[in-house]
Amino acid sequence: MEKKSLWAFGTRQVVYGAIGAALYGAFSLLTNLIPLPAAGNITFRPAVAVLIFFGVAYGPWVGLLAGFIGNTLGDMLAGWGFYWNWSLGNGLMGMVPGLAMLMISNYKDTKEIVKAVGWGTLGIAVGIMTASLLEMFTGGIDISTALVGYFVPAFLGNLVVTVILLPILMVAFAAVSARRGR
Amino acid sequence: MLVSWKYRPRNTIIQRLDPRSRLIFLACVILGITIPNIWDFRIIFPLFLVTFGLYLSARIEWKDIRRTWLFIFILIFFIVGLNAVLSGRGGPTSVLQDNSAPLFSIPLYIPWTNFGIKIDITMVRLFFALTQMTRMLTMAILAIPIPYTMDPNIYGVTFRKMGVSDKVSFTMDLAFRFLPTLARDLSITIDSQRARGYEMDNLKGGVIARLRRLAPLIVPVTMQSTVTGEEVIDAMDLRAFGTAKRTWLKDLKYGLGDYLFLGFGISIFLSLMILRYGFGIGNFWIPEFLLRWAGG
Repeated sequence: MEKKSLWAFGTRQVVYGAIGAALYGAFSLLTNLIPLPAAGNITFRPAVAVLIFFGVAYGPWVGLLAGFIGNTLGDMLAGWGFYWNWSLGNGLMGMVPGLAMLMISNYKDTKEIVKAVGWGTLGIAVGIMTASLLEMFTGGIDISTALVGYFVPAFLGNLVVTVILLPILMVAFAAVSARRGR
Repeated sequence: MLVSWKYRPRNTIIQRLDPRSRLIFLACVILGITIPNIWDFRIIFPLFLVTFGLYLSARIEWKDIRRTWLFIFILIFFIVGLNAVLSGRGGPTSVLQDNSAPLFSIPLYIPWTNFGIKIDITMVRLFFALTQMTRMLTMAILAIPIPYTMDPNIYGVTFRKMGVSDKVSFTMDLAFRFLPTLARDLSITIDSQRARGYEMDNLKGGVIARLRRLAPLIVPVTMQSTVTGEEVIDAMDLRAFGTAKRTWLKDLKYGLGDYLFLGFGISIFLSLMILRYGFGIGNFWIPEFLLRWAGG
């Protein structure tokens, strides 16, 4: 059996990076009209759980590409334009949980699901904090607006989505993988 | 089966341009607005006219794009615009520090109680909403025509010729190709689940219950795409993807029009940077006569 490597970048990463980006873009399009209360032009995105799942299942490069390209595609097609800091933040949100790929092998195991949710939470914190702080330079906001108006609502919204949907995706993936035999 | 966007070859100036020059122009405008943080309507409105002119020159048929415009209209006018008017958020801090006299107030109280807030609507916030919506439209209408006017066969080579690695270019190419396919899969899944009694428009309960009920949409599409991914990987591996330097079927060459268009884009970017960092121009601006009229 092929040995998994965290930083490999081959056909698997290219294909799943693209599929993750397309899924993130498509699901984001579906919910890009649902704003988060108290946040400045930030939308509610259940798709974040899919992004974190791709990071956990296929590694950091896939998470980074899926988040960066997916956010760019979703925003452009929805008419938001291109906000490079949010695309970078979304990329980090997928990349950080990808660092846990080698620690997770049984997608049905409760302990491993908790581990994935934990890494996902860290990814959300790093990604949203990066995007919110960079908004001080691109959007001219002050630090309190960056933290209270952007980071907190976006972090909490994405956290809730991840805690609920990521375990469901992981259990479903375990079943699909078992049926496929890889 | 792969589905594609409604791309159609048209004999337009935009489609005769090299796709690289279009993407670089788009980057120049977006980065020119966002990096120096331009919020001055006197700068944004002329830029809007330029980008709107370019959009019109793409001559995309209304029947093809009306759903996209409906979506953008709802997003920009009802969500971004209302957010700007009611909260003043989404822009520079100066809007949040607005002390001008309110034009009118909107009381938001729980019925028969004193709990709630009163939102003051000022001329500053109204003008900020106009600026915000114009700013977003300026950037968005450059990106909207891309799926309709750029041949899906040249996405990959476009990024490759812009200096991106073969593998990342191919990832971008595949992502553009998969997006309409997955959007169609999502639409089919929604219809299938509705046929089984799933009520998407009537998700009752709290946030957690609603999210759990999104699972019948998200899980099948995501899992199906992981299976499709394995098939695509096998097909690519059989064709020895990534084992040697890649060649691309189509070649791209800049023409005179591309150089002129690129020069225009770069001059926009440089002008905005010089205005901001050389002359300090670009902050949020509101006409004096509007402030006087509003009593500010």
